[in-house]
Amino acid sequence: MAPTSGVEPTGFLYPFIEREESDPAPLLADLARSAAAKWQQSTDLRQATLVALAGQLQATAAEMADRLAAGGQIFAFGNGGSSTDADAFAQLCTRPPSGVAVPARSLTWDQAVLTALSNDIGFDVVFSRQLIAYGRPGDIAIGFSTSGNSDNLLMAFEEAARRQMLTVGLSGYDGGRMGASDAVRHCLVVKSDSVHRIQESQAAVAHALWAALQTELRSKHQERWSA
Amino acid sequence: MTETASSTAPAPVADAVGGLTSDLARASLSLARRFAVGGTMWCASPAWPFHAHHVAVEFVHPVIVGKRALPAVAVPAADDLVASLRATVRPGDMVVAVAPADDRSVASAMRRGDAWGVETVWIGAGPRPPAGAAHHVLWLATGDPLAASEEFVRVYHLLWELTHVCFEHPGLLRPEVCTDEVCITCSDEGRPAEVVAVEGDEAVVRTAEGRERIDTSFIDPPRPGDLLLVHAGSAIGPIQEP
Repeated sequence: MAPTSGVEPTGFLYPFIEREESDPAPLLADLARSAAAKWQQSTDLRQATLVALAGQLQATAAEMADRLAAGGQIFAFGNGGSSTDADAFAQLCTRPPSGVAVPARSLTWDQAVLTALSNDIGFDVVFSRQLIAYGRPGDIAIGFSTSGNSDNLLMAFEEAARRQMLTVGLSGYDGGRMGASDAVRHCLVVKSDSVHRIQESQAAVAHALWAALQTELRSKHQERWSA
Repeated sequence: MTETASSTAPAPVADAVGGLTSDLARASLSLARRFAVGGTMWCASPAWPFHAHHVAVEFVHPVIVGKRALPAVAVPAADDLVASLRATVRPGDMVVAVAPADDRSVASAMRRGDAWGVETVWIGAGPRPPAGAAHHVLWLATGDPLAASEEFVRVYHLLWELTHVCFEHPGLLRPEVCTDEVCITCSDEGRPAEVVAVEGDEAVVRTAEGRERIDTSFIDPPRPGDLLLVHAGSAIGPIQEP
């Protein structure tokens, strides 16, 4: 059945009038069961992902802490829902609920820059061209993607690597092109094939990375960050 | 994904998240009913604007090919939330907020839901807002801000997934028919209204049915933005702050 042709907003409302359901209780029970099962899947994937990535998270956080302690800053980026993950990570870095604030920025915050680059050159360069303008050796580029295949992320990672920035990628499925790219030094992969479940675990990975970064900053670079 | 030790225990899933899954089911059906007749979903998260943008993009540009694009809009975080929504929402719309219970701008917007004719969904964690603060309160028990933020993403992903399941049940998407003996909507029993302008002993108010002129001589003079109960063309009292 294709109830969602979408041409008329109400066109799908009354197609089989004599067979229509009227009691919502069975549907509501199905929906609640489905939600509970997916909630559990998300919990399981989060747990397995954090176990599988523990060593990589530690190594990534240590290198990020060294860069930040030497005066580097973080640039976060992504497309769609992943752009909101980049925003969330930048906000967590600059306005943390505890610990020290570190310099971070999302490359989707400035719509004038985004639309100028997209209109004049193309969407593939919206992140790489900003890194050309803002990025310096010693900075950190962290890109979020569920597929690992976005052209504009790969171009940004290649530009960042050319500029001796530390490159960190969050990806899904089997890592995609980000997982195979030499330009992505640390690729943290959530191994699932559901975009939603990947994104839910990536939120936890980003938080774990931030927590590990805070621990590194406290233990290794106390004199700089204790103020 | 390989199995981990934690997933082998037969955890009572529904208990693990309290009544959340039932609340999600009801909220999703309500949203589907509103979308089915052309409603727009307004998304707000003053403290965490990325959540508002994430909710909106889920509905506008679904990750699953073939699902309908639905009208959802993130309210800019810099806006005065109540003023922005007041100017833009229309009866039949929805407001979904991701915010803590002590967010006064969100609480104020949610209180106006009935006067504006919008369905309200409040997603949050920690201490709950008072009963009746929104039509649907989707609340998490965790007090940890990072865990809460991760679970908000799950909540609105599920809200999207379940809303689309509802579209496969067209018979259940028609507006609810009032069958009660006494019904607020039908019998003019104290309908909520928001004051637009005051003129002497009269006021122009906004209700779910549109604008109307009412008599205010039985109550203290109201001010624009106040919420009142209206019965048979007269204001019968203010709706108090909780």
